[in-house]
Amino acid sequence: MSSSLEVRNTLDGKKQEPSRPGRTQGSSASPRLSWRSIQRIKGASFTWPFVVGFVVFTILPVIVGLAQSLYASKTSGLGFGAPTISFAGFDNFARGLVDVVFWESMLRVSIYAVVIVPVIQVVSLVLALLIDAVQRRIANRFRLILLVPYMIPGIVATMIWIYLYSPVVGPLTPVLSFFGLDVDFFSGEMIWVSIGNLALWGAIGFNMLILYGALQAVPREIFDAARVDGASEFRIAMSIKVPYVQTSLVLTGLLSIIGTLQIFAEPTLFRSISPETITKDFTPSMVIYNQAFQVGNLNYAAAQSIILAAVVGVASVIIYRLTKKVDS
Amino acid sequence: MRTAHKKVLSVAAAIAAIGLVSGCGSATAPTAPAADAGPVTIDVWGWDAESTPNVVAAFNASQDKIKVNYVLQASLKATQTNFRNVMESKKDIPCYIPGIGPMATTLVNGWAQDVTQYVEPIKDTYSKGAQATAQVDGKFFGFPAGPSATFMMANKAVYEKHGLAVPKTWEEFVTTGKELKKHGVTVMNLAGEDPSTLLQMSQQAGASWFEIDGDKWKVNLQDDSTMKAVDIIQQMVDNDLVAHQTYQDRPALYSYFDSGQLATVPLAWWSMAGYQTNFKASLGQWEAVDVPQFKDAKEFVSSGMADPGFVPVGCENPAAAIEYVHWTASSKEAIEAGRNKKTGAIGVPAHLADVSSYTNDVVPDKIFGAQPAAEVGKVIAKAQNAAVGKFERGPNYDAWFPEMQDQWGKAMAKQITLKEAMANVQTFITKDLDSKGIKYEVSK
Repeated sequence: MSSSLEVRNTLDGKKQEPSRPGRTQGSSASPRLSWRSIQRIKGASFTWPFVVGFVVFTILPVIVGLAQSLYASKTSGLGFGAPTISFAGFDNFARGLVDVVFWESMLRVSIYAVVIVPVIQVVSLVLALLIDAVQRRIANRFRLILLVPYMIPGIVATMIWIYLYSPVVGPLTPVLSFFGLDVDFFSGEMIWVSIGNLALWGAIGFNMLILYGALQAVPREIFDAARVDGASEFRIAMSIKVPYVQTSLVLTGLLSIIGTLQIFAEPTLFRSISPETITKDFTPSMVIYNQAFQVGNLNYAAAQSIILAAVVGVASVIIYRLTKKVDS
Repeated sequence: MRTAHKKVLSVAAAIAAIGLVSGCGSATAPTAPAADAGPVTIDVWGWDAESTPNVVAAFNASQDKIKVNYVLQASLKATQTNFRNVMESKKDIPCYIPGIGPMATTLVNGWAQDVTQYVEPIKDTYSKGAQATAQVDGKFFGFPAGPSATFMMANKAVYEKHGLAVPKTWEEFVTTGKELKKHGVTVMNLAGEDPSTLLQMSQQAGASWFEIDGDKWKVNLQDDSTMKAVDIIQQMVDNDLVAHQTYQDRPALYSYFDSGQLATVPLAWWSMAGYQTNFKASLGQWEAVDVPQFKDAKEFVSSGMADPGFVPVGCENPAAAIEYVHWTASSKEAIEAGRNKKTGAIGVPAHLADVSSYTNDVVPDKIFGAQPAAEVGKVIAKAQNAAVGKFERGPNYDAWFPEMQDQWGKAMAKQITLKEAMANVQTFITKDLDSKGIKYEVSK
């Protein structure tokens, strides 16, 4: 049995150079491609489905959005004629940068994020630690159950929780009443809590899974060593496990911040329930949606989208840098 | 009441979706102009999944010149969003879409074709009011659509229990509400997200918020007629005479309506079936009554708005589209095809001048108890025939209606007065018109 790396005799008796796996015998199409390069290409080819999706659904829309944001549409008189489309340069961005309503919505969700993101992080971490502490068979069951909320689309989840919160037909109000608590989840004062609870419910499963995966990678012999030294499980969790999953915590934290700043489905549905609190301009995404599909100013909406993306990007970089600094 | 959006759009949906009859059997009704030459296929959008597919199938079977492809949308909201997207992309533009806003706003958005040449020969099939909703400056940019007029459903058992008469004027409505409040009963529901009651009462009082004056719009949301409506609603809110149940939590809403804690429900014919399906305890206790009038009203007036369906710019077969819609709105086959398979009911042809002969068919059998369907039908017909025709909502309704929802919500929560809310909405409207370059003048 001959290896392709061996010098072999061909049928015509001529000696042939050893070939490497992946290179076609006698092929002249890619004589300069090394075996390693081909391996790289093969490996990279696995990313194509993602790359195609990323280009089509992220890069192209950003380019189209950028192009849209540089134009403005105006009518005249009664407004019935065809609008005049003109190049507006950065006018839409300038307007967006001083739009009080837009920035108020940004501030509103930022404050909300300051509260809800740490809560999501802490709850996800605690759950991941608890699941990591039990037998793998039991852990698998909980992993699945906790991931279910993440798999439910935001709109559907909100509808479910609107029912659960309902003071008339929902199950939570009578249960809380039994304990002497008179809670109206639909009241203006409670609406943030109601939305936050829904966000927590939806996010912890995914975050927990990431953190649990990171915990599984921690060498088990360290725990054994710590136990031999007399460390309690709590001490092991705080001093060994948590430091080991810090990178994953940064990742889940960033994802939570990005998701929270772009919150849309939950407040949109809750708007009907507490319209005096949740206005059409309650969150940046709602402001943008309203501009695009109600006011009909797609150009300005595109500029606002890019500003929001920039804010989210900058916030992510700052938080990433800060956490890195703390780490070092 | 549901949101104004949903309510007015139901009218358009009723025409295209339920196959409402108009001038049915009328020998004098002119026929629509022939569709564009040759067999053509047109896309028609809609969000009705029950009746319209049957109507479309019946139309396709009735002739071989036009093939309608019904594109079902998930909801009204989805239709609005998706339609805006296709109009931006200029691809896959449908040839007909039920009304998704007032005619003027649709036209300002640059969406509606001038279909005067196709509608003009058949316009007499439809009522003057229905024609008016589809016209701007004397030209048809939409298909005639009639409003679903407002009447009321009073819980007779509640009124009798407390020895009260059902109010006939809005002023009595407030007085009666104060009496009912003593017994823990609210006189009506004003959902915090739904300002449609304000729009309808203003319309009923004779308000005119938008008017075309030459090359500019005249805007006035604070005229005396509007203030009459504002005053009545403000009294109801200030004295806590109304409930604020949201339509987002339907089970809770129906439960409250059914509980005997609510005395009166303003409604249009199409929402009766929903109440019957979801009421239990109060079935048979309700009575259809006329909508209250303002005490100085010279004649009986009801309210109702309609958003006409239209042929979008970019459709290459407008004649075919109008021929299809005209058929759905005026043929006996369309009525039968649109009959609800579960309830056997048809829709009220709101675009007719007189709908009396159709109203009995839409009355559910249990909700009104001893009140005969014919009597309920008369109440509906009276409202329908007395509905104010066109209530102009201006060139930027899409933009200002969400703002009105915000302001209405604050007023219902007593954070501001309704008068302040109207001033805020008017300011919003003028700013939006400025940003769009549309000429206007604020009327005094």
